[in-house]
Amino acid sequence: MEFDPGLFVELFARTLSFWWVIIPAIFLGLVVGAIPGFSAANTIIILLPLTLAMDPEIGLIFMVALYASSRMGAGIPAILVNIPGTAGAAATPLDGYPMTKAGRGHQALAISFVSSTAGGLLTTILALLAMPWLSQVAYYLHSVEMIVVMLFGISLIASVAARDTLKGLIAGFFGLMIGAIGADVVYATPRGTFGFLELYDKVPLIPALVGLFAISEAFLVIEQRSIITKEGQALMAKAGWAETWEGVRIACSKWWHITWTSIIGLVIGVVPGAGASIASFVAYQQSRTYSKTPELYGTGHVEGLVAPESANNGVTSGTLIPLLVIGIPGGATAAIMLVVLQYHGVAIGPDLFLSNPNLAYGPFTAMAVTYALMILTIMPLARYMSKVTVVSTVYMTPVIISFTLVGAFVSREYVFDMYLALVFGVIGYIARKTGYHVAAILIGVILGPMLENYFLRALRMSQGDIMVLFSSTLGNILWVLLAFSIGLPYYLQYRRKRRRQATA
Amino acid sequence: MAIPGTPTRRAFLKGSAAAAGAVGLASHPLAFALAETFPSRNINVYVPTREGGGADRNLRAFTSVWKKYLKVNFENAYFPGAAGRVGYEKYMGLAKPDCYDLLFGNMGPEVLNWVVKQPSFDLNDYFYFARVDEDPGVLFVNRDGPFKTIDDIVAEGKKRTLNVAVSRLAHPASLGALALAKHTGAQFNLIPLSGGRNTMAGVATKEADLGALPSGGVISRGKNFRIALMFTHDNPVPDRTDNAPTINAHFGTNLPSLVAGSRAFAIKREAVQNHPDRYKILTDTLKEVFTDPEYKVAVEKTKAPWELIKYGSPEACAQQAKDLMVLGEEYKALLTGQS
Repeated sequence: MEFDPGLFVELFARTLSFWWVIIPAIFLGLVVGAIPGFSAANTIIILLPLTLAMDPEIGLIFMVALYASSRMGAGIPAILVNIPGTAGAAATPLDGYPMTKAGRGHQALAISFVSSTAGGLLTTILALLAMPWLSQVAYYLHSVEMIVVMLFGISLIASVAARDTLKGLIAGFFGLMIGAIGADVVYATPRGTFGFLELYDKVPLIPALVGLFAISEAFLVIEQRSIITKEGQALMAKAGWAETWEGVRIACSKWWHITWTSIIGLVIGVVPGAGASIASFVAYQQSRTYSKTPELYGTGHVEGLVAPESANNGVTSGTLIPLLVIGIPGGATAAIMLVVLQYHGVAIGPDLFLSNPNLAYGPFTAMAVTYALMILTIMPLARYMSKVTVVSTVYMTPVIISFTLVGAFVSREYVFDMYLALVFGVIGYIARKTGYHVAAILIGVILGPMLENYFLRALRMSQGDIMVLFSSTLGNILWVLLAFSIGLPYYLQYRRKRRRQATA
Repeated sequence: MAIPGTPTRRAFLKGSAAAAGAVGLASHPLAFALAETFPSRNINVYVPTREGGGADRNLRAFTSVWKKYLKVNFENAYFPGAAGRVGYEKYMGLAKPDCYDLLFGNMGPEVLNWVVKQPSFDLNDYFYFARVDEDPGVLFVNRDGPFKTIDDIVAEGKKRTLNVAVSRLAHPASLGALALAKHTGAQFNLIPLSGGRNTMAGVATKEADLGALPSGGVISRGKNFRIALMFTHDNPVPDRTDNAPTINAHFGTNLPSLVAGSRAFAIKREAVQNHPDRYKILTDTLKEVFTDPEYKVAVEKTKAPWELIKYGSPEACAQQAKDLMVLGEEYKALLTGQS
């Protein structure tokens, strides 16, 4: 796995010659990513007969292009209509949608595309250069360390609750309680399922996601004629190429932010079982913690959009590392890629890098080429996509509700999930009307079960010894960093207050 | 002159008469009985696991050949959740007892579900009528780890408690690990990691000392893992498992053969009582698949070892289910956290 520049130039040129596979996969990925409930994983499963019939190299390029573009596609409805296409895009609307409401949806899309592309490209190159070291991450990030990583994300509840701590914490705990529904991970004892078998495997994420964000939003916007404000409508009316370039320029000015938040995604992506939802929330929380203007997060702040979009695209290349190096897929999409590779008799593992470098490095070069081609194909479409926000809510609301209900159904094909999305829609609507933050509920629903999973696993491994949480050096370093990142905003706030008092 | 390709008046009248006769004959009840062949439409298969998993791959390979004999297609519906419980409840609740609705599941772990918690339906209302593979439960370790043989593991297990990654507690491979610990005095702490992929990840990343799973997935990652022990009565793939010993031969135990992955077709008992003729067609054609060379090709494409493919009769399935239930009852307290 040594770095050979000549080999990589040759591989990039070779991958570029497969543009005829990559471009259709990009468009397909953007569409399936944008439709809630669909994902790269279930689309690749549907297309399995096609990919199995392809040459393994072409099949792999097709799957990787679809995977990377679906990640970017999921951000589009999250920004424009507050519908995250997947759990990985759940943190995107926190600042993306307020930008749209203010008539800056156009710029928000451009920022999202640049952040996703730059984050994805950068982490792909990093993955190529540092694969031997990155593959070791999974050996160090075990249950104890992952508990702390989860807490980084969950501590976002406190940030979200900054304006009304009590309501924020109530919403967060409510989300955690919903996240605890289902069979426990050790003894499979059902808890809070109300007798519904459909809830045994936890509350399904997509119905919760679309219900809390999209359906509740649809209920709210029906009370208005447009999802954007009056001032925003004026801005949208004159939106054109200049606004697209403004978005690109803003995103480029945040290059350092894109860099470090995408690296968070890359590192979390390497851990088998972790994924984009954790990475995007952790990146958002870290971005807010070290921001000079944390109070602007949640109001349409550029950095609040850049962080999750860079991070969830950083995950994409990270999940491929354990697959190719140790033969263990980092996520659901990588697992299906493994099925295709095994079908073609490709032996996964370190030997692959020597025996068939085209196949071993191919996914990464395909990902880099995909990002490069994707930005060129999607950026001109931003101005047209953003026009969806000027459609009257009389038409938009039924379309949003129909789409989200179909999305809720698609992932498991249970009619039950459509009702569940509606229930979450009502919960979200009540929460919004009464000043409880739906994002805090959602963080609990998404990260709560993962935290419980790692916590119970760590406790079982230590046979009930709670001190296991402080048993590893890396874990202890992460605990200190967690305490630091929770305490820092309060310290900075205190210092700013003191400074204001001194100058007054 | 008739235009070429245009029917003549005589031909039209002949055709009309024939059509009218056919309609009249077809509407007669006797004609229905004569004309009915089974199957006359696609077979529905309820699958209690996700698409893309081991059972799905196995099912697709099998039905790709079986459809040739039945001359209809198979329509699979996936109902994952609660370790297969959702799929079984859906099947028992929705499937019609007409032999057109079947279930395809992983018999071993799914039967153990009923030991942990009874389903809402009567267990006698369905039965497994054909097992398509026998995937032995195995104990495996990381090739880069300290253990080379099962004796190394047992010796270490007597000095300290070893963490054993398992797919879930109620699983034949988990029972094998518990039985080994009970017999040898080694201390094993089972860590359920929700699925084979996570279990292998736990061992690969050295978070767990060893793992217990069906052999198929472990064999396919033979470069990462070493199989240390088989929980079945024989080792059907010695060359791909480092010639791993069997538990009974190595330790002198008298355990039932713990087949951890045993994908099987099941059917409602009422369907067989209502339509014994249809059931016979299903079982007769199903057996032909095992001798069809196309099936071997289809299995080898999935990378599953052909040696694990083995037909199991309804009686063999019933015996396996019974053995597992007995062993499950023995360890029920451990499986449910009541001890």
